[in-house]
Amino acid sequence: MTKPETKSEVEESNRMWASASFVGVLIIIGLPLWWKTTEVYRVSLPYDKISSFDTLSHSITTELTVLANDEATASEIVGLIEKAFEHSDVIKLKITKSILSKQLHSTLDSVADEVEAVEEVGAAYDLTKHNSFYVVQRKPLFQDTWLAGERVMFFRDAKAARTVVETLKRVVYQTSVVEGAKSEAADSARQTRFPPGGGYHIVLSVVHPRPDALTVELDAGEAVEDYIGSFVDELSVLHNFTLKSQWLHLLDFDFQAKEVRDTSDFGRHFAVRQDRLHLLLTKLEERMATHVSELPTINLALYAVPCERAPLVIYDNNDKKVQSHVQAFMSPKWGGVVLGGPSEPNCRDARVTWRPNVRVVMGTFISQLRKLLGITDAEHIEGAHLEPLRSVTPRQWEIDNLLRIRTLEQLTSAERTLQSLAQLLGEISNIVINDEVGASINSAVDSIQQASSLMTQGKLVEAYKMSQSAFLAAETAFMEPSLLALLYFPDDQKYAIYIPLFLPIMFPVVLSLKNLLLWFRGKPIHKEKMD
Amino acid sequence: MGSLNKLLCYSIFLTYFLCIRCDDFKEELYIKPLPPTHLYSYFQFVTLVNSELSSFHSHLAPRSLAEVVSRFQVEELHLTLTEGQWRHHQWGYPVLDAAPGAELYAWFSPDVIDVDTQWKKLSATLSGLFCASLNFIDNFNTVTPQMALWPTGAVKSSQNITTQLRYASLPREIVCTENLTPWKKLLPCESSRGFSALLNSRMIHNTNYHSIGVHVRKVCKSNDCLETQLEFKQTVALVYDYDIIGSNDWSFRKLFGQGLPGACPLSSDSKIYVDVTSNNTQSFTLTPPPDNVIVSQRGGSDTKLAVYNVNPDGQMINIGVKYKSKLDLPVSVPPPLHFTRYILGYGKEFGGIVTEITNNCWTSIHVVVLENAPWWLPIQLSSLRINGEAESSLVQSQYYSPGRSRQKPYHLELLMKLPPKSTTTITIDFEFVFLKWQEYPPDANHGFYVGSALISANLPTARNYTSVPITGSTFDSFVNASKTWYPIVFRTNGAMVSLPTPDFSMPYNVICLACTVVALAFGPLHNICTKELVLKPLGTPVSLTQKLLNLFKKKKD
Repeated sequence: MTKPETKSEVEESNRMWASASFVGVLIIIGLPLWWKTTEVYRVSLPYDKISSFDTLSHSITTELTVLANDEATASEIVGLIEKAFEHSDVIKLKITKSILSKQLHSTLDSVADEVEAVEEVGAAYDLTKHNSFYVVQRKPLFQDTWLAGERVMFFRDAKAARTVVETLKRVVYQTSVVEGAKSEAADSARQTRFPPGGGYHIVLSVVHPRPDALTVELDAGEAVEDYIGSFVDELSVLHNFTLKSQWLHLLDFDFQAKEVRDTSDFGRHFAVRQDRLHLLLTKLEERMATHVSELPTINLALYAVPCERAPLVIYDNNDKKVQSHVQAFMSPKWGGVVLGGPSEPNCRDARVTWRPNVRVVMGTFISQLRKLLGITDAEHIEGAHLEPLRSVTPRQWEIDNLLRIRTLEQLTSAERTLQSLAQLLGEISNIVINDEVGASINSAVDSIQQASSLMTQGKLVEAYKMSQSAFLAAETAFMEPSLLALLYFPDDQKYAIYIPLFLPIMFPVVLSLKNLLLWFRGKPIHKEKMD
Repeated sequence: MGSLNKLLCYSIFLTYFLCIRCDDFKEELYIKPLPPTHLYSYFQFVTLVNSELSSFHSHLAPRSLAEVVSRFQVEELHLTLTEGQWRHHQWGYPVLDAAPGAELYAWFSPDVIDVDTQWKKLSATLSGLFCASLNFIDNFNTVTPQMALWPTGAVKSSQNITTQLRYASLPREIVCTENLTPWKKLLPCESSRGFSALLNSRMIHNTNYHSIGVHVRKVCKSNDCLETQLEFKQTVALVYDYDIIGSNDWSFRKLFGQGLPGACPLSSDSKIYVDVTSNNTQSFTLTPPPDNVIVSQRGGSDTKLAVYNVNPDGQMINIGVKYKSKLDLPVSVPPPLHFTRYILGYGKEFGGIVTEITNNCWTSIHVVVLENAPWWLPIQLSSLRINGEAESSLVQSQYYSPGRSRQKPYHLELLMKLPPKSTTTITIDFEFVFLKWQEYPPDANHGFYVGSALISANLPTARNYTSVPITGSTFDSFVNASKTWYPIVFRTNGAMVSLPTPDFSMPYNVICLACTVVALAFGPLHNICTKELVLKPLGTPVSLTQKLLNLFKKKKD
């Protein structure tokens, strides 16, 4: 009995080794090989860094210098300011207090005009430095505080401390707007201003519906270069701007205006409902040719209303006249429109010529541009005087604040983009991350960290530049078309190939696993045979 | 010094001020009967702008196009989108010839170093601007013509222009309304007023041939050419068939579906020219009568043109022609130079392209023939035969650039002297190539288009020649413009070949079949290797499953 038994045992071991080799080839070598070759290419990404981003933790350090006539006033003011900004998690003030020098003190008290006083301060201190602000005491002041276009605010005495704090909080630093830049939901300022970007095109379109009936005398190119140009030059630290102008002739829009009799020269005006105006934008967009520019375009349109429909007056939704010197409206994240037209005496001429008041029209466009680019209008505070804008240039502290807003916005946006990309990669398995995308994600992560540390150091302009490169890198990574290269290769088609091959082969191999395991453990395979 | 400065400033300011409105827009319509059965109408919208101011601040010029031209530093640009085939033999010559499908060629400024990248960017941008598939222009279908194309605008004579030139045509492109709408938006009057109001897409696509084009070039401002202007020319060429209109008598209402609602208020000159030369042989009346009739003697041919000056008063104009008698079939006199092109061969291995050029003149004509074959149609220079001879005395100069698979097309240029009253046949053979399965276009069995050949000629006579002289931009310059020779660039008809096309479901079928065979073979193999046949003696206890199976077996019996 021993001989046949050994023979069958040998045969059995042969069989088992054959079975094991099938398993070895197909499962141990085949499966990993298949897995490796069909894997979607992905560069390793710093997932831990991306997931550790906390969009709400960013804060900006900014310098504030308090200059008072005496130590007590200075400490009182500084104390109050410190207390007010204690809980602000976004703006960290680095306050320096000092006593005004004797000479400056006496000059400040003696000069009659505030503008001169600002010049005096400017001679002693560097007012051109970004991210700094000076609160200076000046006794002969009619109001509690006086805020200049430069980085200076005067206050009268210690009693004005409350106003000083309020003005700093709500006008100079605009903490609510800055916080809105990093919040999840967009606040009203963020809904209005253009999304951040490296540069913008500003296009002035003169819309001229009736070139046969009306002559418009306007050098659009010169007007844009002069007015808008000097405005955006001040913002060159933030973005690159390209100025353009064009004429759109014979673009007729039906305002569906109602004629209303009144006491003006015309004896009438045409009432346009506000809710009708956005339809004009669609009509304009047809011919604006905004799509040829490679950067986002801010549209400014001057609509020349012909005589037979002049003057157009915008009415709000409650059928009330919109009280304004210029008939204009703004569309958030799109641009602004000014409606203008010849006056009544002009319309009586045989050949009607309209010379638009360039100052007024461009002034309106600039006030719209301010909002579109992110400068919010300051609210009025009791006892505080804000020096009104004399020219087209924005106030210095407004630019600083815009830098803060944009830095935060770009930083949080870049972080959120990377986080959602990481999330997408987790959810959708066949997104390819090639070397370029990987490099731009890595550079975005690095820039975010650098920008974040620059912000806490108070280097605002550098932080802005860094956050911008982070933002742009994150956007390019997210928008890269190569991500979608394999997205439309559906799984069911893969299975159409795999199933005919793998199902008939894998069944016997997998089933043989049981016997193989039993044999390896030295257990008998066939119970019948034992009997 | 100060006063001088002031004066200088003032004069600069003055010229600047004067030039604000120095944009000039003109519209023209040229109608020519092509007896016996066709009618040619050609629209031309010309905008002249000061090139220094144009790119950022535009008045009448299309800002989108000006921006594209300045961004990619284009010196001269020609884009045509054409449906149909111009029949030179029957119809004579068009004002501007165009290849069927889309055709784009441009000269870049000498400052551009990487012309290929710039060319790709330009074609991609234009593709978006005109909703055409120009983005398919790539290195593998772009050639740099060495002799066939020369700039029509002002260029510095010292610069090497050929290296900055790129030419591509997409013969498969289908032209329709979606290309016409963006084209119309480039006009200052859009389509609401002026001649462009006639371009009603329902009517103009109902023609035998229609071609829209955009041509940008630099023209001299004065005779000494110290300053240049940028000229934007937009053209539409239509050939109507009298059979489609329904009668030989035509009118604007029949051709365009409506009358002309006056000129564009922004144009400085709006004119309609009707070629009435054929009135002598087949008399017809024009209604309303033209403002004046001019006779142009040019290069040995007389042309009578009826001219209408159109005012922007908004009055409807409906120009029409009524023939006095039924049209006789005239003997058509073929133009001085005509040509035809066809494919030779059978089967799926070898073939050939034949270009036949006929010179009807009494003098010899110099022509440059540019054959542009895609990479999947390799033509061999060794197989080039002219009138059946490998070495021909007609060829004066030759340029051949072999193609490279998926990278470069085959490009052959021949400078030839065509003897008088002769037909020259140029034959070149090609092989068919197997493409990769992803390179086949949708509906591959439809066939593959081969682009037109370019024939650029200097004609000794102006018979059938309707082009505007190179120095002029409007039809005024056409009158009595006799020259020693008349340059023109023709496009031959395109051709179509059918490449070996596989059955596209085959790879999947093969995979499925092969997998099934492997799976079928694997099962027994696995069983033989791993299983053992065991004899089972009778009377052994039966397991529960065996009992159940036996039960079934019994029932079956």
